[in-house]
Amino acid sequence: MTLVCPVDLDSMRLRREVQDMYARVAAAPDGAYHFHRGPDYAATMLGYDAAELATLPASVTHPFAGVGNPHAIAPLPVGARVVDIGSGAGTDLLLAARHVGPSGRAIGIDMTAEMRDRARAGARECGLTHVEVLEADATSLPLDDASVDVVISNGVLNLVPEKERAFAEIARVLRPGGRLQIADIVTGVELSEDIRRDIDLWTG
Amino acid sequence: MAELIGAFTAAGFRDVQITHQYECFKGTTKEKTAQKFGVIGVNLSGVRA
Repeated sequence: MTLVCPVDLDSMRLRREVQDMYARVAAAPDGAYHFHRGPDYAATMLGYDAAELATLPASVTHPFAGVGNPHAIAPLPVGARVVDIGSGAGTDLLLAARHVGPSGRAIGIDMTAEMRDRARAGARECGLTHVEVLEADATSLPLDDASVDVVISNGVLNLVPEKERAFAEIARVLRPGGRLQIADIVTGVELSEDIRRDIDLWTG
Repeated sequence: MAELIGAFTAAGFRDVQITHQYECFKGTTKEKTAQKFGVIGVNLSGVRA
């Protein structure tokens, strides 16, 4: 993850291109993209439980495009209030809802309408009434201070130009002692200013 | 990775650590680019201080 964003990066254009990209993934998850998608990838390369994924609707799991596995970090406590930042079509969100159970709450946050629709439909299909999906982005979470037990996220924060703002928002909504369990990409070398400024590289 | 851990620590987290690493671009059209820049997927955990 590149933490420093060039001051002249067109963040609104980046936001639109990210939304367009993930709207395409929602509509056509089997299309040609530069990243893996789907439940087979999640199980074989990221260690998700294939049998558990098979219990979720294909409309939820096929657009999955995570880069790690927040559920592998630690089990989500029963009754916990969990927020998934950039919940996409809902794979991690619905798994979280199953793990926390009906006494907990799983709140998805996503800025792409097509993904939110899939996550809501998936929750209905699975009978997960303690799932809520909200429109927002990582830099402005529609949640009260210290109101969340666990924040999860998978492959999203690298797409946010204002990362320090997003990190501050996560810290704001988590209660003291609350857990951060995120997956994202990191780079092993320092990126040049030209590369950081290239929106095509940010979005793929 | 140290930069990311430092950023979360500065934001108010303790015990920030990378717990898993994944070659998430292996087999994609961006595999060579990912190798060139050392791009990998990671799991990161932390506790709100």
